[in-house]
Amino acid sequence: MIDRFQNWLPRMVLAPSFFLVLVFVYGFILYTGYLSMTDSKMLPSYNWVGFANYEKLFRLRHWNTAITNLAIFGILYIGISSAIGLLLAILLDQKIRAEGFIRPIYLYPMALSFIVTGTAWKWFLDPGIGLENTMHQWGWDSFQFNWIKDRNYAIYTVVIAAVWQSSGFVMAMFLAGLRGVDNEIIKAAQMDGATGIRIYRKIIIPMMRPVFLSAFVVLAHLAIKAYDLVVALTGGGPGRATELPATFMYSYTFTRNQMGVGASSAIIMLIMIFSIIVPYVYSELRSGDKR
Amino acid sequence: MARLKIENLYKAYGATEVLKGIDLEIEDGGFLVLVGPSGCGKSTLLNCIAGLEDVTSGDVVIGERSVTELHPSKRDIAMVFQSYALYPNMTVEKNISFGMEIRGVGKSERRAAIEGVADMLQIRELLKRKPSQLSGGQRQRVAMGRALVRDPQVFLFDEPLSNLDAKLRVDMRTEIKRLHKRMGTTIVYVTHDQIEALTLATRIAVMKDGIVQQFGTPDQIYNDPVNMFVADFMGSPAMNLLPGTVVAENGGLMVSLDGHEGEMLLPLPDSDALRGRMGQKIIFGIRPEAFTDPEGADRTSTQLEKRDCFVEVVEPAGSDTFAVVKLGGKSAVARLRADARISPETVTSLAFNMGKAVFFDPDSGERLK
Amino acid sequence: MSGAAQDIAMKGSRATRIIIYTVLILFMIFYLLPLYVMLTNSLKPLDEIRGGDMLALPKNWTIEPWRAAWSYAQIGVEPTGLRPYFINSIFMVVPAVLISTALGALNGYVLTKWSFRGSGLVFGLLLLACFIPFQIVLIPMARILGMLGLAGTTSGLVLVHTIYGLGFTTLFFRNYYAAFPTELVRAAQIDGAGFFQIFWRILAPSSAPIAVVTIIWQFTNVWNDFLFGVSFADFDSIPMTVALNNLVNSSTGVKEYNVHFAGAILAALPTLIVYIVSGRYFVRGLMAGAVKG
Repeated sequence: MIDRFQNWLPRMVLAPSFFLVLVFVYGFILYTGYLSMTDSKMLPSYNWVGFANYEKLFRLRHWNTAITNLAIFGILYIGISSAIGLLLAILLDQKIRAEGFIRPIYLYPMALSFIVTGTAWKWFLDPGIGLENTMHQWGWDSFQFNWIKDRNYAIYTVVIAAVWQSSGFVMAMFLAGLRGVDNEIIKAAQMDGATGIRIYRKIIIPMMRPVFLSAFVVLAHLAIKAYDLVVALTGGGPGRATELPATFMYSYTFTRNQMGVGASSAIIMLIMIFSIIVPYVYSELRSGDKR
Repeated sequence: MARLKIENLYKAYGATEVLKGIDLEIEDGGFLVLVGPSGCGKSTLLNCIAGLEDVTSGDVVIGERSVTELHPSKRDIAMVFQSYALYPNMTVEKNISFGMEIRGVGKSERRAAIEGVADMLQIRELLKRKPSQLSGGQRQRVAMGRALVRDPQVFLFDEPLSNLDAKLRVDMRTEIKRLHKRMGTTIVYVTHDQIEALTLATRIAVMKDGIVQQFGTPDQIYNDPVNMFVADFMGSPAMNLLPGTVVAENGGLMVSLDGHEGEMLLPLPDSDALRGRMGQKIIFGIRPEAFTDPEGADRTSTQLEKRDCFVEVVEPAGSDTFAVVKLGGKSAVARLRADARISPETVTSLAFNMGKAVFFDPDSGERLK
Repeated sequence: MSGAAQDIAMKGSRATRIIIYTVLILFMIFYLLPLYVMLTNSLKPLDEIRGGDMLALPKNWTIEPWRAAWSYAQIGVEPTGLRPYFINSIFMVVPAVLISTALGALNGYVLTKWSFRGSGLVFGLLLLACFIPFQIVLIPMARILGMLGLAGTTSGLVLVHTIYGLGFTTLFFRNYYAAFPTELVRAAQIDGAGFFQIFWRILAPSSAPIAVVTIIWQFTNVWNDFLFGVSFADFDSIPMTVALNNLVNSSTGVKEYNVHFAGAILAALPTLIVYIVSGRYFVRGLMAGAVKG
């Protein structure tokens, strides 16, 4: 009988986690999905309204601002972080003497809370006391940098702060990828007469496709979830100029008492993330099985 | 010590059958080697004997007791793993005594058991070390020590020598054989190395695709293979398997091969199976050592046949010289004395020891006797 | 982050080397500047910040902003400083990290060494849960915490962070234990060790590296969380990040930038210290979280 007990132990150990995740993740997703089809306002209500909330959502100017912002933010954030990350990784791979000193400096922002990052950049970019003021003090009177106060440019300050926080991490991913390339392949390329930049362009970077993919997935999912940074940096402003889906969801659900609309926006966010993550996780698990 | 019996054992993972009805029996004190290419199911079979994998159906009997439903620790077995599986965080001493500790054996008794094993395997000076501080051979000894200290009914070895370098492997092989002589305990030993199988075993089971192809003494397996797979798998260099045709010549049966210039005829033993193949293709099998220079041939054999052969390549290997000969449309290997005078791209007379030749059906691969 | 620089250095001239170093140093300045600005300005009196040069060192050094941020700055309506919130965060982080790490270790052990029919599915569900936008659980979570009587409590936040950390802790341990030789587990089974004995005696002693990685990862995530804190916490449980945001964005009175900077550094300090002390493990955690296996 003791053997039977031992057979069931593994299941019993895994069971709590399974049920927690089943209820608190998947159950909650279903519940939120259900709420998004009701006329819930401040409190959940169970009056079925079908897709009315979604129709309303996509007619809302705020939501369209949020989606447009997410597109701008997402593209620039992913693009610039990857470019800086790759550049720094390649430069650091050139037998830099002080690599062990430089690398941690590029990476430390990743240890910070987005709230801290937002606070720092908020004042750094503030025209009254930050960079603009300092340049004026230094005698460069015509210097102007007031994006954070400008409806049309504020979203780019979010990009700057987010790139500052994450690009070092992307650098670390690429550096690990570069170092993982088989040395013999590089030697073979050198035998063939290829040199520095060409080896990177033609051989190493193409071989790092999986790293690009991982970086893209990580950054995209961070971008869609971005909430704290906007709250701390701009508070969604000026006006609603830096609203993102995450801040939209929060304000509609908890301050504007439009829970049904808030829930539908959360579902849209989930769909966006899963459309990126699910294929990725699936292919990772598949290749993991083959290994 | 006990005999081990495996009865009609099946093992499937979902729809994939890995073991398809295994029946084996090894007498008390015997040394059973399971050998076969990777994926043949030999390791799965060993794990089923150990109880590390559940069987789908069938029975494992140790002594007079069915152990199929028992936990591994209750089967009175000990196992030596391919990677040695020494607990990395424990000293050698702890590794050896861990099982006794789990069973609640007293400290002084444990001490005595460790000492006994340490002396037997000459690992006394290693007792306080961690596995990471040991060489491959030393780890191997400790792994055996951990098995020996259990004093089990049956020892199980899972490719224990495959991680050692060639020289150490030969030494440890001898050592295992010596230990078996001394302890007299039943052993089941898995390997993919046919030399290990032939040197160690009292009984060999050659496996392929979850089926035991042949179960017998090393001599039977080597000299009397039941099919082409066994013939090809056992022995190195492998047996020459050459396509030929059965013909009648001078009132006797002959096999006709493609020689260097036209047909080469060799006499066949007169059997019903071969006579029934008149005019048909068969596979003619001859081991390299039965295909040699006339001076080096087995003089006790009464069935030596000398033929002219075209030698393509000569490969001196120190103790022997190998000659690659074009025969039956294939490359056949002949094993010659080290100092046989032979040069490549010449025609030389070589002796076939037809007493050692075997014949197979080309389609089924079954032996024709 | 292993392996040495490879031998493809662009064997350029002195000039290329100078360009490379210049770019590297410019980026160092880019990454360090905000920290430098915060630090120097947290040590200046307020009028010096307003009138002066953000990048200059303080003329009158003062630690008063730090004292204010820690013990008497106005946060919300109470002039308590950040100290009580720092303590809230500690009480939230420690249990959340320990519980989720322990469960992750056991899950990883089961998934790799005792997998059964359906365990792969459980892992898939856990893995996918790592990536959900937490907005999707806010509404039902608020209700469940209320039903459990945990609304606004630190225990409630511990529960939330434990649940949503499980995916990653399980992933880390699963990948680590997948490389742990299964033969050791089998040897221990033959030695008669049971499920928990094998875990404690064989796997746990070898798990220090992955445990460190997991703990750092969880610590950083839970400490830095804002969304759950702002959604589910009350005064007794408000974590540091939320308090910092309240401090910085309080609408009343003059903006005490120096205090804000001191507060921001205080909020960043625990994770920064962890990063400095064990950067290697921190990076490994980031990698493991990003690139599986």
